Amino acid sequence: MRGLRFRRIEHGLFALPALGFLGVFFFYPFLEVLRFSTWRWSGLRAPEPVGLKNYAELFADPLFWQSVKATFLFALWVLPSFLLLSILIALLIEGQRYERFVKGALFLPGLVTVGAASTAWYTLLAPDYGALAAFLPVPAWDQEPFWAMAMVVAFTLWRYLGYGVLVVSAHLKAIPPELVEAARVDGARPFEVTRYVVLPLLRPAVLFLLVVGSVLALQSYVAVFLLTRGGPFGATRVLGYFIYELGFENFRLGYAAAATVVLLALTLFVAWAQGRLLEER
Amino acid sequence: MRHALVLVIVLAVLLPFFWMAYAAFLPPEIVYSGDLRSGFGFTLENLKKLAPEGFWPRLFFSLWVSGAVALAQVLTALLAAYALWNGLRLWAVFLFTLAIPAELLLVPLFGVLHQLHLLDTPWALVLPFVASPFTVLLVFQAMRALPYALVEAARIDGAGEGRILFSVVAPLVFPNLVAAGVLAFAAHWNLVLFPRVAVGERYWTLQVWIADLTRRYPADWGLLSAAALLSTLPLLLLYLLFERKIVETFEGSVKG
Repeated sequence: MRGLRFRRIEHGLFALPALGFLGVFFFYPFLEVLRFSTWRWSGLRAPEPVGLKNYAELFADPLFWQSVKATFLFALWVLPSFLLLSILIALLIEGQRYERFVKGALFLPGLVTVGAASTAWYTLLAPDYGALAAFLPVPAWDQEPFWAMAMVVAFTLWRYLGYGVLVVSAHLKAIPPELVEAARVDGARPFEVTRYVVLPLLRPAVLFLLVVGSVLALQSYVAVFLLTRGGPFGATRVLGYFIYELGFENFRLGYAAAATVVLLALTLFVAWAQGRLLEER
Repeated sequence: MRHALVLVIVLAVLLPFFWMAYAAFLPPEIVYSGDLRSGFGFTLENLKKLAPEGFWPRLFFSLWVSGAVALAQVLTALLAAYALWNGLRLWAVFLFTLAIPAELLLVPLFGVLHQLHLLDTPWALVLPFVASPFTVLLVFQAMRALPYALVEAARIDGAGEGRILFSVVAPLVFPNLVAAGVLAFAAHWNLVLFPRVAVGERYWTLQVWIADLTRRYPADWGLLSAAALLSTLPLLLLYLLFERKIVETFEGSVKG
């Protein structure tokens, strides 16, 4: 048998491929973005250092502030509905014969291709060409900011609801049946059992989903790209999409890098704040 | 009441799938009439129209790239998870990367790929995804459920670490490896924005191509649905095959 120290080195070597690739394609870009953000750079010609000018311009850019607002609005829509629906559905299917089937079905949208999914949504729900437009009054979500946001929110919920239900359900199963039993024996009605026994015990699940959900809300812009392209009038141009547009449609990569730094700082702050929240539970 | 509500929710969630499967075989007359009530019909026309648009080579290219990424991710994750399980104190590093979604790094990743002269090569689609903290997490959770005595017993029998990992531990977590691989495959298969910026049209993945198709033919439900259906099929098959294990693996990651 070889020594512990030798084994430690071996384990370090095992972790090396993962760490190496994460180093080159995660940590290195993560640091480089700071440098990029001080450049004026189109991606085609050589970059030109401009100091902190990008940041000054960014904080004076009304489009930036509009997209900050859109991001928070999006999070404000998505998070509560995500939590409520996840809890509601998990409670509805708990212990039913079809529980596993429903979970499987709800999980499916998260796995299928976004491109295909948004194509299906688009052909089904487009206000002008959509298949449903012939039967139902489909709101003009390509023209009205409110409905455009509703559409992006609905699509995001559709994709991730299965995950939320899975999380809540896993915590539901961990509740000792004796607790529910005891409350019942004490004369609590089913509604009261849910309200005063089950829901408080779901607090960890809610907090966990809140953490996952807010990181998701900050990053999620693929739906925006596929469904609304930030429109109408920038109503759904969330920060992630704002960055994409700046970098790869307006070819202002340095400026986009500065916006990325702001979004990264925001994400890290939210993750940190919620990490604290989780520890306190 | 409860059952009806569940039924409505499930139907609403599955509606886009039913629609995709239905519209893919709709005859063009019905599509162009713009009214579904104008009749029923079944045709393979839409599927045939995909070939001249260049669908098939894209499909195989995407299968190839995403498959390679999934394999590589599972392998790097298996190695790293074993190291973590044996007490390597790098958990914080992986947790940190987990908190930052890769989508946020689109701009700097583009810059780094530019520096490495990888832009517009198939490598740009593969190398950045060889290691994923999420896959490491999934495999690590699966290992933690095993008794560590297994490893100790194998060590006493004189097996080296590589041997223990590949002949003792890997077979035991194999179902989880498959599930993690399917999830890795799905995540890569679903990328739209990254391939769009990292490579030119030559190496576009299927998803980018479909997003582009939707822009070019916004009103041709039949063609779009056929493309969407066929591009979903590989994932759908994988999911149906491994559904139980995938859902369980996810539940495992949640409990930890």
